[in-house]
Amino acid sequence: MALEVQPPSDRKRVKVYELRDNDWFDRGTGFCTGQILDDEPRIFVESEDEPNRVLLETKISKDDGYQKQQETLIVWTEPNGTDMALSFQEAEGCAVIWDFVNNVQQHLLSLAPGEDALSDEIESYQSIMLPAPDLGNLPEIDHIMRTSSITQAGRDALSKLVIRDEYIPKLIPLVSMAEDLESLPDLHRLCNIMKSLILLNDNTIIETVVTDPVILGVVGALEYDPEFPTHKANHRQYLADQTRYKEVVPIKDPLIRHKIRYTWRLQYLKDVVLARILDDPTFSVLNSLIFFNQVEIVNHIQSNAQFLKELFTVFDPRNADNKRKEDAVQFLHQCAVIAKNLQAPARANLFANFINHGLFAVIAFAIKHPKPPLRTTGIDLLVSLLDHDQIMMRGYMLKAVSEKKTPLTDTLIDLLHTETDLGVKNQLADAIKVLLDPQISMPDAMARAGPEHFNKPRSNIFSDTFVQNHFDESARRLFWPLKRLENSDNLNDLTFQDVTLYSHLVDILTFFVRQHLYRSRNVIHDESLAPRVAQLLTVPQKHLKLTALKFFRTLISLQDTFYQAMMTRNNTFGLILDIVYQSMPRDNLLNSACLELFEYIKRENIKPIVLHLVEKYGEQIKNITYVDTFQTLYLRYEQLQGYGAEEADSTLYSQEEDLPGQRMQANGSRWQGVKEMDAAEEEYFNTSDDEEEWQQDPQQNTAISAHPQNGAASPVVKPLVDYPDDDDEDDAMNTKVEDQTQPKQESSSQEGPGRDTAMESSEEAPSTPVSLTIQTPPERLSEKRRREEEDDDELMKLTAGPKRRSSVNAGSGSAGLLRRKRSVSIGSLSSNEKGSTLGNTTTSAAPKRIAINLSSATVKPTDTAVDKTSNEKENRDDNHDSQGG
Amino acid sequence: MSDLDRAIAQLRACRLIPESQVRELCYKARELLIEEGNVVCVDAPVTICGDIHGQFHDLMELFRVGGDVPDTNYLFMGDFVDRGFYSLESFLLLLCLKVRYPDRITLIRGNHESRQITTVYGFYDECIRKYGSANVWRYCCEVFDYLALGALVLGASSGLEPTGPALETTSSTMSLDDSELETEVLNSRGEVTMSSYRPKQPRTDSPLLPSLSQDKSATSSTTQTPASSSMPPLRSGWAGTGATGDSSGSYATGTGAVLCVHGGLSPLIDSVDKIRLIDRKQEVPHEGAMCDLLWSDPDEIDGWGLSPRGAGFLFGGDIVKHFNYKNDLSLIARAHQLVMEGYKEMFDGGIVTVWSAPNYCYRCGNVASILELGEDASNGGTVARSNGDYGRSTGGAAGAAAVTRSPGRRYRVFEAAAQDTRGMPAKKPVADYFL
Repeated sequence: MALEVQPPSDRKRVKVYELRDNDWFDRGTGFCTGQILDDEPRIFVESEDEPNRVLLETKISKDDGYQKQQETLIVWTEPNGTDMALSFQEAEGCAVIWDFVNNVQQHLLSLAPGEDALSDEIESYQSIMLPAPDLGNLPEIDHIMRTSSITQAGRDALSKLVIRDEYIPKLIPLVSMAEDLESLPDLHRLCNIMKSLILLNDNTIIETVVTDPVILGVVGALEYDPEFPTHKANHRQYLADQTRYKEVVPIKDPLIRHKIRYTWRLQYLKDVVLARILDDPTFSVLNSLIFFNQVEIVNHIQSNAQFLKELFTVFDPRNADNKRKEDAVQFLHQCAVIAKNLQAPARANLFANFINHGLFAVIAFAIKHPKPPLRTTGIDLLVSLLDHDQIMMRGYMLKAVSEKKTPLTDTLIDLLHTETDLGVKNQLADAIKVLLDPQISMPDAMARAGPEHFNKPRSNIFSDTFVQNHFDESARRLFWPLKRLENSDNLNDLTFQDVTLYSHLVDILTFFVRQHLYRSRNVIHDESLAPRVAQLLTVPQKHLKLTALKFFRTLISLQDTFYQAMMTRNNTFGLILDIVYQSMPRDNLLNSACLELFEYIKRENIKPIVLHLVEKYGEQIKNITYVDTFQTLYLRYEQLQGYGAEEADSTLYSQEEDLPGQRMQANGSRWQGVKEMDAAEEEYFNTSDDEEEWQQDPQQNTAISAHPQNGAASPVVKPLVDYPDDDDEDDAMNTKVEDQTQPKQESSSQEGPGRDTAMESSEEAPSTPVSLTIQTPPERLSEKRRREEEDDDELMKLTAGPKRRSSVNAGSGSAGLLRRKRSVSIGSLSSNEKGSTLGNTTTSAAPKRIAINLSSATVKPTDTAVDKTSNEKENRDDNHDSQGG
Repeated sequence: MSDLDRAIAQLRACRLIPESQVRELCYKARELLIEEGNVVCVDAPVTICGDIHGQFHDLMELFRVGGDVPDTNYLFMGDFVDRGFYSLESFLLLLCLKVRYPDRITLIRGNHESRQITTVYGFYDECIRKYGSANVWRYCCEVFDYLALGALVLGASSGLEPTGPALETTSSTMSLDDSELETEVLNSRGEVTMSSYRPKQPRTDSPLLPSLSQDKSATSSTTQTPASSSMPPLRSGWAGTGATGDSSGSYATGTGAVLCVHGGLSPLIDSVDKIRLIDRKQEVPHEGAMCDLLWSDPDEIDGWGLSPRGAGFLFGGDIVKHFNYKNDLSLIARAHQLVMEGYKEMFDGGIVTVWSAPNYCYRCGNVASILELGEDASNGGTVARSNGDYGRSTGGAAGAAAVTRSPGRRYRVFEAAAQDTRGMPAKKPVADYFL
């Protein structure tokens, strides 16, 4: 049958949005037309840039819920469940397409009356009548709303009716009437009615609710919640308070001013009034309304040059109005907070505009401000820039260096040294970490700093040497207080500020070492920082001890001969053993951290350290018997001595002959650097991402462990000769090896026939309890990954939220290494975090590189794996929770 | 009145303390927590609580039902923050109590005590909203890193002293003269709603015991750690055990310890002592032993399974039985999963989930509970489990595990705080706005 609806003739300029992960993803800009092809009405959007590319083609069906929002938006849900939005340039274009959709739908409905139950229902619901808004009718109104809210069709019909009859404004006078009469039951009914109306989850209704004439009446009714009959909220008082809106530079556009006010009300509704009762759909409707408003507001601000100019002249030194300056900082901060939710290009535009107008000067003003809260805000601003694009920020910084200006980092470092507000200090340390992060490749930074810069023929200046020099200089400046420790023999009376500073500095140093094997070597060596950190092992403040310990633990996990030599030359292990002695056999955090460190050395069988430990501290080690760790170290030593003939060779540099697997395990790519520094350096710069190599390691290990020569021993620790003690790998902390095997066998045998295969495989790698116990086939892993891909609606929350940048332990020890099944390596964690600090760009658009090697059951983590994992965790948490009962 | 007491009073009234005091508090807590082992030993009697999730008023209700600190010895199994609207007040109050009465309250870490999770599930936003910057959030996260990973309750009694008269509706299993009260469920008014008994004089004449117990003694006598050494050291001479039938248990094995942990077990942890070798001062990792302890869930499966949460594992009854047997545990108490009844025992009482956030998220409609373990005052009630008890049919280690009896368990079930005590729960709105 032919459609009689005439499609609109001309093309309307439009942006196509798709809801992905709770965020509106911009599919592009194009021209929208309504067409009827093969009797099927469709909406087409052709790309503006590439005229032949179709951005959107969707069939209009009769029961899709199309909604027109504001003047320029059409929102609907595709049959596959995707939420889509068309944002028109002009209201007129929107109206034309909207009419088309409406006509088509009406036409389709009239063509198929009562074809199915659903349309029957719609018909019947369309006959819903609401009684006149009157106090006497409230019970009936409440009842009708409740009953018709039960089905979707009823909700649709009710929404249409409420909108058509402009029912909400008519209810508003009833609120004050009921209040005048002090009729609590009526007020409770009104509250229920308002709740029902809002939970109808209709954009138009919610938009109506926040308009000037209606809002106070609505929240007024919502102040009388029947669930809390003895309470009355004071929403009106809050929302009526005009002084809450601060204006640094007046925004003249009345539309934008409205949007700002509506957005604020929407947020209040979401966070306060409705916080307890919101269901997920209404929550996301509120969120997307807020989002679209914010996009427009931010767009208006950044494209309004006059406004920006006025805003930034507030900071003119000749301007004495300090309050206004502070407000302007707050204003910019709020912009930055909102920008976090925007899509990367929009955010980039906003920040670029701000930077051009002098944002850095503002930051400098703020972080030197006498008031700590303002310093916090200033650093927050800086951090949001870093979160957005740290490479760009480093580009700007290096540009300043090359132009012989004081770079931002120097300012921050000086502030860190003198700052007394601990919260601010904390943030400063984090910002410095990111700005100096030695792992960021500099050519990228240069490119990002702006094309005008890139074009200048000075590429040589930004060679790696230049970057290295800058890093060295900054690090020297940064760690100077540490170096100064050299002259103090007594660390017993450090001030609180000292302790805080040292722990930040050691923490930053640990971060640098972990991020890049070579970059920080110079400074650690030249400034002899390691002995200084070792001094801190003796301070009375245990948490500082712990921080220092973590530094050495990180050095050990790098399995780098340079650092190993450094640690064995100094009395580092002596000091660590002192801590063990001080804290043993009491069970406390410091003691556990030490044990973990020695366990790691034992498990990895790090030969030079084992030799050093036993040869230099043999007596001390022998005397620690409350755990078996140290006895086993002694055994290891004796095994190593067993190679009498080869002993001469087993210098620091010959390990790989004996223990290839182990060396590879820790740091595949880095390990090569021991022999050929230059090659490795080069490789570093060619591959920005050494986690990939990292990931191959377990695979290689498996291969090694499967090798007949290696027999039954663990892949992690494999000397040439198979000593009986070696299969206690898994029993890292059990005392007697022999005893251990017995119950274990017993347990596996009773676990039934299903375990047989698992047992077989464990012959090859008895060291991993995982292989023994997890019988899930590896395919499940891929399933899991897929689930994660689908299930990333929380992802944006995670990435959009403020980033955690504090340290994550480099090697989380036994656990991480043993569990190869899910080898999202700890090493890659830091880079994942970093990836997410780059902002949504990386996470939303990153191609998913997932490769699952079934044979070795290793998984290469994707760039986003970590974030995703944790999203999923919580998501499942919810699901699981609700199943729990 | 000391500053700390003032802070406690203020927080009890659900009013926040100034940022500088939070910082002080967090530093004090850090000094205290750094001295705790990864697994804290706690003596019975103790009241074990599950997730709180920022439901401050319900936490107050919990203290009303369970008794106040320091009168009652509390153990909270993590997830103090996120979801509810008063994470700050709840966590800071618990932390104040910890600093004020370190021996009367134990806090261990839940999966929500993590930077990454709190940025998504509300605590971070709440800190920004209430203090204007992320500083307080940072201080709290620093404290999270120091929280212990688990606790071991020692010296719990195997039987309960009955609590007064039961309600008429009370359902109970056999209540005979030669039986002792094993579990009891009370409502928030202190009325018994359910109780169960077990035989008092088990005649353990199982021929299986002697041979199996040799394996057991071989293992346990070699673990020389505080946890296991607090158990009676020797179990040799089993030969006579079954024959004596001595009701006071001549080879007192006690009730075994109760391991408390937020999530559950880990395939990498086969003994409680292994938890000790974790360097816990770090963000909760995405995998590994520490992660599993905070993320895993028990499930009706065999062995280990992948967790749908994406972190941690699922573990079955066989794993629990084996772990409990090997570590002389009579029970694992954990939280982490919403249970509508407030608590849920699984695997023949080998593990229990305790949930302490009533009407979770202000809309789940569930009740909450706390678990009281009594003190083993006498030497009595410490006999080996009887033949008819759980796990016997599966034979092997499970049978041997039956030598430890589960402790007597009293659950106090409570509902969300009455509304007149709390006002309408709501988030704090932003003070000023520019945009």
